[in-house]
Amino acid sequence: MRFETTRFGAIDVDPESVITFTQPIVGFQTLRRFALLPGPVSGNGEESRVRWLQSTESPETAFLLMDPRSVYPAYEVDLRPEELAELGAGSLSALDVYTLLVIPPDHTQIRTNLKAPIVINPKQRLAKQAILERQDYPIQYFLLRPSAPAEQCAEDISPEEARR
Amino acid sequence: MLVLTRKENESIMIGSDIEVKVLDLKDNQVKLGIVAPRHIAVHRHEVYEAIQAENAQAAAAAGAAACDLSNIPKLFPR
Repeated sequence: MRFETTRFGAIDVDPESVITFTQPIVGFQTLRRFALLPGPVSGNGEESRVRWLQSTESPETAFLLMDPRSVYPAYEVDLRPEELAELGAGSLSALDVYTLLVIPPDHTQIRTNLKAPIVINPKQRLAKQAILERQDYPIQYFLLRPSAPAEQCAEDISPEEARR
Repeated sequence: MLVLTRKENESIMIGSDIEVKVLDLKDNQVKLGIVAPRHIAVHRHEVYEAIQAENAQAAAAAGAAACDLSNIPKLFPR
């Protein structure tokens, strides 16, 4: 299946690999189908664990997804049995859990949304943005120390600067 | 918008399986109790709005016009 994207141009993906959202990403109500693509690559070809979630229906709409446990090892998602059923999952272990990464021009403001993760059942190719009921996961979880220098699009932010 | 007046301990039904009850009224605050099937998600509106705003930021930051993302592999090495 071939579709247009603003960032990558026209791309081809296996139609079987397209993910369908059972509940939309909040604010993107009309978009239900997305492709999971490899994340940004550095100038010298390094890859990352971050992945792109590209809409197949809106060329300009893409999100960056990260593994929340890489910055918050104790992160846990608790879904209701109805939500698991909605995703065709027998248990939480069947799901891949990602959080949305926000990379503003000021890299000290890099953050991820722990309150509303993107949960994907890779077998069924079903996903949703869950809204967790617990109160201690912020919508804006900042990844860098507030004391980190405020460089615009800094070239070198070492992983050691990632908090925790 | 449908507007209904309710007193303490009175409720409204939305469809046949969602009940919203006024539990307490004091100090300019209303305490509501909601009885709904488990598949109906109930959230404070401001939480929903904040998530919507943050999602829009996530999409904008990932947009083609955003700054260079080539240092992401440094931040999140494989």
